[in-house]
Amino acid sequence: MTDPGTLDHHASGSSAGGEMVRFEGVTKRFGANVALKDVSLVGHAGSVHAVTGENGAGKSTLMNLLAGVHQPSAGTIYLHGKPVVLAGPRAAQQAGISTVYQELTLLPNLTVAENLYLGREPRRLGMVDRSAMRREARSVFARIEVDLDPDAHCGDLTIAQQQMVEIAKGVAVDARVFIFDEPTAALNGPEIEKLERLIMSLKRGGNLVFYISHRLDEIFRFCDTISVMKDGSHVATQPASELTRDTLVSLMVGRSLDRFFPHRGTVRPEAPLAIDVRGLVPVAGAPAVTFALRRGEILGLTGLEGQGQREIIRAVAGQIAPVSGEVVHHAKDGTSTGLAPSPVAVARTGIGFVPEDRKSEGLFLPLAIERNIGIGMMRRSSIWSRARIDRPRLTGLLESMNVRATGPQQEVQALSGGNQQKVLIGRWLAAGVDILLVEEPTRGVDVGAKSEIYTLLRAFADDGGAVLMTSSELSEHIGLCDRILVVREGRLVAEMPGAVATEETIMTSALTGAPFRAHAGAAA
Amino acid sequence: MLDTADRSRGSRLLNVATALPIAYAGTLILLICAYMFRPALLSPLLLMLIIRQAAPLGVAVIGQSLCMRILSIDLSFGGVAMGVSYILTSGYVPGGEAVLIACALLFGATVGLANAFFIVRLRASSVIVTLAMGLLLTGIVIAFSQFRAPGDAPALLKYIGQSRISGVPLAPLIWFALLIPVAWFLKRSVLGHYIDAIGANPRAALATGIPYGGIVVLVHVASSLFAVFSAFLLVGFVGMGSLDIGRDLALNSLAAVILGGVTFGSGRGGVLGPAVAAFMLTFLFNLLTSFGLGEPSKLMLQGAIIAVAAIAYSARTKT
Amino acid sequence: MIGRLFSRTSRSGIGIITIALPLSMFVILSFTASSFFTAQNLGNVGNQITALLIVSLGQLIVAISGGVDLSVGSMLSLTSAIIVTFDPAIVVPLAIAAGCVLGTVNGIGVAIFGVHPLVMTLATATFVQGLTLLVSPVPGGVVAPAIEALAHGRLFGLQPSLFWCAGAILLCWLLLSRSAFGLRLYALGANPRNASLNGVKVVGPIITCYVLCSLSAVAAGIFLTARVSTGDPTIGAAFGLDSITAIALGGVQLSGGVGSVPGVILGVVTLGLATNGMNLLGVSPFLRMAATGLLLLGAVSLQRRKTIGV
Repeated sequence: MTDPGTLDHHASGSSAGGEMVRFEGVTKRFGANVALKDVSLVGHAGSVHAVTGENGAGKSTLMNLLAGVHQPSAGTIYLHGKPVVLAGPRAAQQAGISTVYQELTLLPNLTVAENLYLGREPRRLGMVDRSAMRREARSVFARIEVDLDPDAHCGDLTIAQQQMVEIAKGVAVDARVFIFDEPTAALNGPEIEKLERLIMSLKRGGNLVFYISHRLDEIFRFCDTISVMKDGSHVATQPASELTRDTLVSLMVGRSLDRFFPHRGTVRPEAPLAIDVRGLVPVAGAPAVTFALRRGEILGLTGLEGQGQREIIRAVAGQIAPVSGEVVHHAKDGTSTGLAPSPVAVARTGIGFVPEDRKSEGLFLPLAIERNIGIGMMRRSSIWSRARIDRPRLTGLLESMNVRATGPQQEVQALSGGNQQKVLIGRWLAAGVDILLVEEPTRGVDVGAKSEIYTLLRAFADDGGAVLMTSSELSEHIGLCDRILVVREGRLVAEMPGAVATEETIMTSALTGAPFRAHAGAAA
Repeated sequence: MLDTADRSRGSRLLNVATALPIAYAGTLILLICAYMFRPALLSPLLLMLIIRQAAPLGVAVIGQSLCMRILSIDLSFGGVAMGVSYILTSGYVPGGEAVLIACALLFGATVGLANAFFIVRLRASSVIVTLAMGLLLTGIVIAFSQFRAPGDAPALLKYIGQSRISGVPLAPLIWFALLIPVAWFLKRSVLGHYIDAIGANPRAALATGIPYGGIVVLVHVASSLFAVFSAFLLVGFVGMGSLDIGRDLALNSLAAVILGGVTFGSGRGGVLGPAVAAFMLTFLFNLLTSFGLGEPSKLMLQGAIIAVAAIAYSARTKT
Repeated sequence: MIGRLFSRTSRSGIGIITIALPLSMFVILSFTASSFFTAQNLGNVGNQITALLIVSLGQLIVAISGGVDLSVGSMLSLTSAIIVTFDPAIVVPLAIAAGCVLGTVNGIGVAIFGVHPLVMTLATATFVQGLTLLVSPVPGGVVAPAIEALAHGRLFGLQPSLFWCAGAILLCWLLLSRSAFGLRLYALGANPRNASLNGVKVVGPIITCYVLCSLSAVAAGIFLTARVSTGDPTIGAAFGLDSITAIALGGVQLSGGVGSVPGVILGVVTLGLATNGMNLLGVSPFLRMAATGLLLLGAVSLQRRKTIGV
């Protein structure tokens, strides 16, 4: 018996029944990265079980193992007391595990009923029996008390309605375990209430619901048991009634910062501007944001996932055309230019963009390191001119960045994640840009290279450059940024100096929208 | 660590071996075949003739390989060649030879621009756009020239197509005169680097600030212009207008480019491989003719070559 | 129900233009070409579009899966060549066997090796055209009376082309709108990843699509050869692009997942009326070819894709 198991047993109380799912010593590695370390956890029938933690704590990975998307590198998953191998999504579904992914898997061109029965259509005379399909769909909807037209096209439904269909899919196959991955991210108030009713009815039916979220309100509202994950490890599992918001937050964060961050700069408030963003509305329906990036500064845009940080940095980078607003670039020599929303114009002006998905949007994998970096050096040349790759500078750069490769001719696809990331940043350093816009500076990068990339970014800022970054790792913001802007629902709700920001202050602002000063006093 | 290093070195060697265009080995095999069964084909005189015959295809292949390196394609060559033949020989277009040639070039550039407009602006599939464009041009040209006897080609083109300089035919010299600067330019210029980048990862090219749309326009205009040059050589050979001119150009150039090591989806490859492949195909057709095989066998071989080469490259890039 | 028909996400793909085009063409032709509205001409139109309709329905099946088949024209020609060359007793099974082989090759190239469907089918189209010329180098030959009867005999006093059309429409409709295969095909075409997350297999159904498409070309080839009572090794040359034009006009999305039998019927009628109209107005057949090219450009321009290129 493992510790969490016993803890859970105490927690079972009135509502929870027998053991339904047990993870025992589960570890998951992705290449060199350890996403889950020896996790043991038990879920009971008739329970709504929150799995929470910071971004990247491993909660989604854990649930993906149960959903059959990934297979554990070590350890065993037990279902109803028996060990199971969930070889794929289909196998997990057949084992009675239903997953409502954040990214829904419905087909937009099929009707609700068709989506519900896709892959196991009721037949009559060899043909799909649509009336049976409709009838059964209606009866499933009646069981979970939702009102949906089985003949509506799924592409016409709201996100909330599509979630209902995904849940109904599980109910229709008599699933016993339901996984919800951040289900409320795109829902409004009444829709959340409806989801709550649905989850409660699943609970009453004796099912186990795993609820992945980092929204404290909903966790306390829906869940009877709470498991906290941190850095791939299982920290604790406790009954919700024994936790308060404060104790939960301290379980989620409360860790000494890693020591591998470089010294922080001293950015004077009167330092020259680098980028001035005025009234920028990145996508239709989003609020306007106004902020400035100063020379010598590393500025972080943070918040819970999907709150609009990505859209803001992409609109500044010209990757998406904003609805309105302007972005003004102030060069080192004092000239200012309004930026046209196009990647070509932005690169010409002297701004480098490092996308989060470096393989699909950043690098030219089959080409040599030299070519990948060389593209940056040509950003101002006419396409007819001779391609000049400054080789001494290139080798010097590779050396100073400590890129481990056989030489500048090596194909980028043969490099490790960390070295690929260095090449991508190196492209813009070689290009002589004075501003970097970086999404997820160290995603999928091992610890050693992480530290080197931080040093690289800090040196760039110290050298008169400026960095605007987003990251899903709070510690990265706290350790690296001079200033942090917290985004919630597209709005900049709080601004705090990196030196005094803590995971608590950021999380509080990100969760509640409270400005920094208001709770800084309370925390002190 | 050592293990992976070893493996990567091994796989790199394998990559180098398999990355050589099929055309090189193919040409070698064909030459050996000819040496064994039809040694006459290898006489300098005949070889020279075959190279001359390969020149129009070779010129068209330059354009096709450009298109395919940026993950597009141009199947409107046939229509362009017919249009050029009509402009040069119908007598409808007034003016001297220079005017005719200028008109043909202008026509080519317009077709290229139109193709690019549909592909870049309207995001239509380049295969369908250029096939439709070919259909459109062919239809119009045939309809207009239906009741007219074909006229003579301009003397300048006849001279280029038929004369020799100290025994060497002029046409292949023109082919090389176009091929070598293009190859050199693509290797050395910013444009060449951008084309490689687009071929390797179009999304990254867009995000990095490479002028993607502009390059697609440029390449399609260039491709149509190479088709025009190719038609100049063809009209020069024949000496007069013909509705048969350039009928196989699109398919043969596609086959040559694939054989020459440029693939869809990877955008890799150079200019030399396709050029060798253009020679290989022409040599192959001559060899088949010498064996007494006709048009049907050629078509079958063409189709089989494209299919097998495409499957081979796809299978290779997948692993 | 009507609202659903025009829904943005409806998988029929039928829009206002799809319906308005053939109707307005019908009206215009009734007024401008005096001989249009005669029983004889309408019968002609029916005959002319039957083969195109059959091929386009096959093309529709492939298009819903997200592919395209340029080899239908060559397959049609090959069928014609087979009919006038071999023993009448075996020609139909032989043609069907050839169709199965071609479809399987196309499907394997696309679904297993990941070759772009346009390149794959262009290659096989060239191969089959060569094979056709090898089987029967020149137009001519005699069609067996039993086969001829398929397009000339009258049943209940009705044109045989009506039966061909009705049969093809019924089969295709049953397959796409009533069978589980059809439903899964729509899912597959819309999003292969999500479809397979829902337990839909990918490779087998795609190969099946190409086989069905080739078989539709075989059927059209039998009808057309019976109709003209002689063989022609290039009779199908135009059908590849014509069928793509027809389905694109019928609202079928070439990127997959959207398209319907009624839409294709409308598209075929549009293209058929356009051809017939130009015929009646005395336009050169080659200009009609150019017009098809123009229609194709227009139809593909109406479709929204994300990627640039092939």
